[in-house]
Amino acid sequence: MNIAHETSAAPNGLRDRRPKERTNAMTTALPSVSTSGLGKSYDGAPALHPLTLDVPKGEVFGFLGHNGAGKTTTIRLLTTLLAPTTGTARVAGHDIASDPLRVRAAIGYLPENVRLYDRFTTRENLTFFARLSGVANPADAVDETLDFLDITPLTDRRVGTFSKGMRQRVGLAQAILHRPEVLFLDEPTSGLDPMGVRQLREIVEKLHDRGMTIFMNTHLLSEVARSCTSIGVLAHGRLVFHDSMQAVTDKYDERSLEDLYVGVAERAPQVAA
Amino acid sequence: MSELLPSLSGNVATIALRDAREQLRDRFLFWATLALLAAATASLVTGAIALHGDAATYAAARAQLLALGKDASAIAAPEFYPLKLMRGMIEQIEIMGAVIALVAGYRAAAAERGRQTLALVLTRPMPRWAYSFAKIIGGMGLAAVTLAIVFLATAILLPVVSGVGLTMGDAGRLMLTWAAGVLYLTALFTLGFGLGLWARSPASGLIYAFALWILVVLVAPQIGDTMDPDNQVAGGVFAQLSVPKAEQDRIKAGFAGYESFRNGIEVASVTKHFERFTFAVLGIKDTYTGAPLVKVMAEKQGDLLFLFLFSLGLGGLVLLRPINPDRLTKES
Repeated sequence: MNIAHETSAAPNGLRDRRPKERTNAMTTALPSVSTSGLGKSYDGAPALHPLTLDVPKGEVFGFLGHNGAGKTTTIRLLTTLLAPTTGTARVAGHDIASDPLRVRAAIGYLPENVRLYDRFTTRENLTFFARLSGVANPADAVDETLDFLDITPLTDRRVGTFSKGMRQRVGLAQAILHRPEVLFLDEPTSGLDPMGVRQLREIVEKLHDRGMTIFMNTHLLSEVARSCTSIGVLAHGRLVFHDSMQAVTDKYDERSLEDLYVGVAERAPQVAA
Repeated sequence: MSELLPSLSGNVATIALRDAREQLRDRFLFWATLALLAAATASLVTGAIALHGDAATYAAARAQLLALGKDASAIAAPEFYPLKLMRGMIEQIEIMGAVIALVAGYRAAAAERGRQTLALVLTRPMPRWAYSFAKIIGGMGLAAVTLAIVFLATAILLPVVSGVGLTMGDAGRLMLTWAAGVLYLTALFTLGFGLGLWARSPASGLIYAFALWILVVLVAPQIGDTMDPDNQVAGGVFAQLSVPKAEQDRIKAGFAGYESFRNGIEVASVTKHFERFTFAVLGIKDTYTGAPLVKVMAEKQGDLLFLFLFSLGLGGLVLLRPINPDRLTKES
């Protein structure tokens, strides 16, 4: 995978750090993720205020926010791990509340810091998850996925012996081996070294090129700038910003993404009030 | 994307088999089986030593009578039922087996939470209850294999240490006891699994499980035994005083309320039901020694039913109680 990045012209600018082909070409398609007033409360305390959001098919959506902002709660709602307190959501066209099995069949999910079954090899881990996903020919799916992620040499090694970066790639493999329509990544770069971050970015780009919708929680603003086609910023459980990367780079041409993020996040308490 | 949802039975089998492979790989099954085998062997050997002691005493007395020119038929030869030697083994299954099953159940939940694989499995296209069901089936398989090895070894060892071969009837009784043991250990596995899954941290779940273990396996049966007036003297008060059965019943009738209370404590424990059933089937309890299996089953079907319903109820509770998404990781 070789995607050229223009980093020399304007190292701190957003526009030039993004790969040329990262565009919003598919924004007119039906949304892969669509929420309407989706909210979650714990004992009356809102973790996620009613969220209305559309992520079109084929987008790489970067979900930014401080710790405890509600990003993981949102992903858990969309992956059917949590039941919403208010509102509805559709993922890949299926309602998360009334048709959770179809939603699960259509998604891939990589939680933060997944360790997998460490006494099992990569192939054993992936075969297990392929079977649970109903993949017709698990062996072929595993081989193809390992090849796609360029981790074939890890096939017969035990996952317990892997570095964080290697585990993350196997974790990603389990999330995509059934060819999901929507891929949810929760802080996928957490704890990775720069090389690991770069490899993960390249994988995300490859998946985007294949038309997969990617919903990614992250803290890494640089990764959002490089990989995402649209972003949303969540602060104190509220969506305080949502736009395409193209629009962001147009509107905030002279400001860094960090300035934008800090700005909307700082205004969030006033919004919440 | 796969168009068809995977089959439920296929997913249950996939999870249960993966669990079984893991138990084999991390040698938990090996050590659990070895521990129970050692306990079973020790109890059989101990029982055999006592048996040989009885036989030697009889032989010496008989020889003495014959030496004195008297009729040796005056003393009855000690009756021997090899399955009675299994008393210690059953008690080890009750206590040690219960601990192993609880820990295995806890590990089945804790490992998934610690590795974050629980979230991965629960986002697969299958109902939540199917995951718990698969885990319980895996636990049942673990109990079945472990006890099968222990019972098979017992069946081989019994004739060796006792010098008396087993009949087909004995084999049938062993199989019934094995099945009851699988039910009993599955219930405790389910308890450990459920608490490991529901507690804020799996370690807390294990502590709750052990608290219940102490109450159910040790305290309740012990209180019941201690409160039994007939247990106050070795061999039984009534037996030592040679009180006839009719008189025993008349005396007991005067303590009907007390006896109901005492029995109530005992029967609240699943362990006591397991013990009552297996002791009767194996003829360990003198009342049932040599009794036809049909008669034993007729009298002890209540204990078997309790064991079955207890396991079923506990399993149902685990299946029906939703998995809390805030308990997906080791600490929450």
